[in-house]
Amino acid sequence: MNYIIHIVIIINIYIILTVSTNLLVGMANLLSLGQAAFYGIGAYLAVFALMILNLPLLPALILVMVGTALFSLLVAYPSLRLKGDYFILATLGFQLIVFTILYNWVAVTRGPYGIPGIPAPKLFGMLPITGLVPFLILSAILAGLTIFIFYKLIHSPFGRVMKGVRDDELAVMSLGRDVTKFKIWAFAISSAFIGIAGMLYATYVSYIDPTSFNLDEAIFILAAVLIGGTGNIKGPVVGAVFVVILPELLRFVGFPDSVAANLRQIVYGLTLIILMRYRPQGIAGEYKIG
Amino acid sequence: MLLQLLANGIIMGSIYAIVALGFALVYNTTRIFHIAYAVVYMFAPYMLLSFYHSLQMPLIIAFLLAIIGTMGLSLLIEYMVYRPLNRINSSLNVIMISSIGVMIIVINIIAMLYGNETKIIHQAISPSVTFGNIILTYIQIAQFVISLTLIILFLIYLKYSGFGIKTRALRDDDQLYTVMGMDISNMRIGLFVLSGFFAAAGGAMVAYDVGMDPYVGMPMLLNVVVAMIIGGMGRFDAPILGGFIIGILQSLAVWVFSARWQDAVTFTLLILFLLLRPQGILGEKQRAV
Repeated sequence: MNYIIHIVIIINIYIILTVSTNLLVGMANLLSLGQAAFYGIGAYLAVFALMILNLPLLPALILVMVGTALFSLLVAYPSLRLKGDYFILATLGFQLIVFTILYNWVAVTRGPYGIPGIPAPKLFGMLPITGLVPFLILSAILAGLTIFIFYKLIHSPFGRVMKGVRDDELAVMSLGRDVTKFKIWAFAISSAFIGIAGMLYATYVSYIDPTSFNLDEAIFILAAVLIGGTGNIKGPVVGAVFVVILPELLRFVGFPDSVAANLRQIVYGLTLIILMRYRPQGIAGEYKIG
Repeated sequence: MLLQLLANGIIMGSIYAIVALGFALVYNTTRIFHIAYAVVYMFAPYMLLSFYHSLQMPLIIAFLLAIIGTMGLSLLIEYMVYRPLNRINSSLNVIMISSIGVMIIVINIIAMLYGNETKIIHQAISPSVTFGNIILTYIQIAQFVISLTLIILFLIYLKYSGFGIKTRALRDDDQLYTVMGMDISNMRIGLFVLSGFFAAAGGAMVAYDVGMDPYVGMPMLLNVVVAMIIGGMGRFDAPILGGFIIGILQSLAVWVFSARWQDAVTFTLLILFLLLRPQGILGEKQRAV
């Protein structure tokens, strides 16, 4: 039972990651290879808020969201001036720079030693959320909230403009919309929620080190979104469930442990290739990335 | 100390240069962001290891077979993944993501077959020679001489051979290329084979010196992409210049900061170039991507 709860918590974290990444990939056609950087910054900001400032849950959450969103502006302003491959490269560059800093600035982040003993967040400053079941509830609430907000966002006028930007940027510009402003908003909103995922991860595992937020993780998050599908809410949720449950299913098939990890990766790779060939909108998505 | 680091930087730069050439060969002509190039690079040392250690072949023959095998892998990726996608007119982003899929698959197959740990091809310490203050191993000298020879041969070939002229034509305008009655698919076979050749030569030479693990491709790919961009997109001499710049700069980064900050220096340079001079040092303003 604990095992299932654990998996559901991880799924909740990934749902937050994929649903918010979808705002960039599926709604604005901005393929970002820097999502793990925001995830990491969220996690490290959460450590700062919980361990150094001793904030309760909600203020810490707000600090993490605002901090990650502000940082994303630092990436968004320069990157958004670039198109196509150049944009992807810029986000990738930021991803690697953030990782290098987290890894090497030992004085602040403790680098490769990681940060152990992250305390449980306290509700209203007194009720610490410890144990699997309270954490399950917390993560489910946050994931549900994320889904709800992004659902509203996609179906709001803002979402319609985003879709317009994605499908025909020039047309939206000619209607007098500031395309760059919308993209920057998309960046900030998506990053703020990824920050939440980072905080959930840090407090749930209670130990973080930079290798959880490297380029492989960035590729993994992007792959999860693309496998599930882009352009709606259903797609990213399916993607998150798929990438978390698949390795667990493979475990029951009974491959030896030594090759299980590799085999899982191979299945991801194959899924990506086959989907891109036959179903570029992903399993449950509606937008074919272009 | 500074001279030694400069020498190391130039030698590493020559390796970056040839590996960058292989990437640029595909990117400039087909516009495919060939991320799977990372595993093409990584595949060569493992071939070398198999031929040299397991099958006990002489080093030269093992090298040649490894390079041929790697060229085969490069071509296989084109045939099995890129060509079918091209036929259904997939967008470049879709092709790039498939390329990521290929990379993940090959890395994990190699990891399953050979293990995750670092493998050493050449056990003994290489003898070295001293020039004044600079100490170079024989391997480093061989790396430099081979890379430089390949670069020069390639530039001559690109300028004077039929294939070279076609390559430049395809780079300039793929539609006009087709209009002139030439077959892009045929041309791409040659491009992917040659690209695999450069990756294999670089990968095998580096691994012969310092060994390899299944993940060496990605860091090399990233350096090479930065080299190509700061050199200048859409040219074939630019990645060579960029490769040398990156090699020397990383050495100097060791001297000024420490080896830990090498990557930060490289990618800060990338961001600066993307912002201030996206066409690179030698590049001219590009047609819209």
